[in-house]
Amino acid sequence: MSIVSFGFYILVFGGTILYYCIPQKIQWVELLGLSLIFYFFAAEPYTIIYLVISTLVAYFATITIEKQRNLSNSKSSVTAIITAVAILVNIGLWFILKGGALWQPVVQKCISHGFWTERLATYGTRMVAALGMGYYTLQIIGYIIDCYWANIKPQKNPLKLFLFVAYFPQLTTGPISRYSQLEDIFTGHSFEFRNIKFGAQRILWGLIKKLVWAERIGVIISGINNDFTTYHGFYSWIMILLYPLQMYADFSGCMDIILGVSELFGIKLQENFNNPFFSRTSQEFWQRWHISLGAWAKDYVLYPLLKLKMIVNFGKYARKKFGRKAGKFLVNLIGMFILWMVMGIWHGGWRYIVGVSLWYWLILMMGELFSPVFKKIQVCLKIKTDNFSWHLFQSGRTYLIYAIGATFFCCGIHRAIELFKDVLRVIFVKGYANPWIFFDQSILSLNVTYVDLNHIIVGIVMMLIVAVLREKYGYARIWIEQQGLVFRWLVWIGLFIYILIWGNYGPGFSASEFIYQGF
Amino acid sequence: MTREEVYARLNNVFREVLDDDSIELHDETVADDVDGWDSFEHINLIVGVEDEFGFKIPMGKVVTMKNVGEMVDIILEMGK
Repeated sequence: MSIVSFGFYILVFGGTILYYCIPQKIQWVELLGLSLIFYFFAAEPYTIIYLVISTLVAYFATITIEKQRNLSNSKSSVTAIITAVAILVNIGLWFILKGGALWQPVVQKCISHGFWTERLATYGTRMVAALGMGYYTLQIIGYIIDCYWANIKPQKNPLKLFLFVAYFPQLTTGPISRYSQLEDIFTGHSFEFRNIKFGAQRILWGLIKKLVWAERIGVIISGINNDFTTYHGFYSWIMILLYPLQMYADFSGCMDIILGVSELFGIKLQENFNNPFFSRTSQEFWQRWHISLGAWAKDYVLYPLLKLKMIVNFGKYARKKFGRKAGKFLVNLIGMFILWMVMGIWHGGWRYIVGVSLWYWLILMMGELFSPVFKKIQVCLKIKTDNFSWHLFQSGRTYLIYAIGATFFCCGIHRAIELFKDVLRVIFVKGYANPWIFFDQSILSLNVTYVDLNHIIVGIVMMLIVAVLREKYGYARIWIEQQGLVFRWLVWIGLFIYILIWGNYGPGFSASEFIYQGF
Repeated sequence: MTREEVYARLNNVFREVLDDDSIELHDETVADDVDGWDSFEHINLIVGVEDEFGFKIPMGKVVTMKNVGEMVDIILEMGK
């Protein structure tokens, strides 16, 4: 069961009606039931055992941590050991089941014996990870650490803890919620029309992004990706520049659906996107794109790492020896490397380690190293930076940096390098460029029509309008809510008809999986 | 220790760590309001505060404090 399937919306519709008919005290039980139904239809049912193991490990660990704390009235080494073991069990499970792409090639290279290589390959193909394992593993680790830090009280009811892990709207793709943010799922909610209205509107907008725009861009991307010999030259440019848009429409569309479904139950999940393509720098980009992952890594990896005595002392020494700026840069170099490696490893493959970890680590470090030089150049050339055109330039640069990293993400390390070479050939090799593809009909051989191309353009314009409204009013929905009755209904009915006619759904269509559903 | 005394010492820590004598902190001051207060300097500031006041701030508090006001509350609580 995908979150764009008809069955999912029957589950959500029926679940919402029942939710507001039953006593508030037992609403969480219904959410647990819905989560189990969703899991059994959406994944290999037996893999739920991994969620149960993670939950039980976290449950017993945190209860023991609290007991120990009450006994000794402070943090003891026992609580630290229990925390570490509970985290390692969760990471271990994830690494074995989900991180196969990382360890299998290495192990296969190490084991030269044919028998073992064969065994390993068979084992690798048989392994099925739990649904949303990357997301709930981070959630549960965050929960264990928060209990260890005494930021939250451990959940005494294991079923409630299981609901925190398996809450169905966010199970497949996040956002990665903290326990303190998601505690709302255990409290009852009374019926509020605004929650239903805003929830449904958000689901509609997410479905349009996914089924109308992301799917159509996806056809172009996979067409080029599958046949580089036919599609080269400016096709490579199209692919590199268009893929971030597909990612955005797909991933943020998925988030809109998830947050919208949760809003129907009166539960507000944290935002995972905040107009990332308006970012002026790559650092800002990652504060606006997949926000919950970056925030998780900052709180549970970067801060504890930087506060290690060894790193603090190294920072003090480096500042004394090399000066404040250089000292800070050296600490940044280490901290950022580990932070970005965690982000890349979480994605579970070498292509992500290159496209996310190493690429962004390099970009951010270069940016910090050369920022004084860039500032001097700006002053020398008297470049005005407080205007729209400069913002546009900065956002364009940030987009391009993301597009380069995302190319590794999309088609793997070797193919990405081939693509970059092809992009350069267009500029440097005489007669290689093929600009006519923009004017003749050859682009239609990618299985798209002019109507599809028009939809993509309409999609880009509409996402831009919504982004501008969001910057100004918090949400586009709030701005629409302030408008007159006729205008409001025209907008929502118009969007509904738009997806009914142009959405890729129903017989003959099979919406591809969300890009971020695999992690 | 009064709140004012904490602020006087805290201003000095921030000015020294961030190398900016114009810093003037308030309860509502957040990282975005102060030039150079990023994730890395956040930890340097915490270490500076710990050195200045002579106690360790628990990691749980480091990640949850939302503004300078909360930082001052923590310092006052820890300094009791």
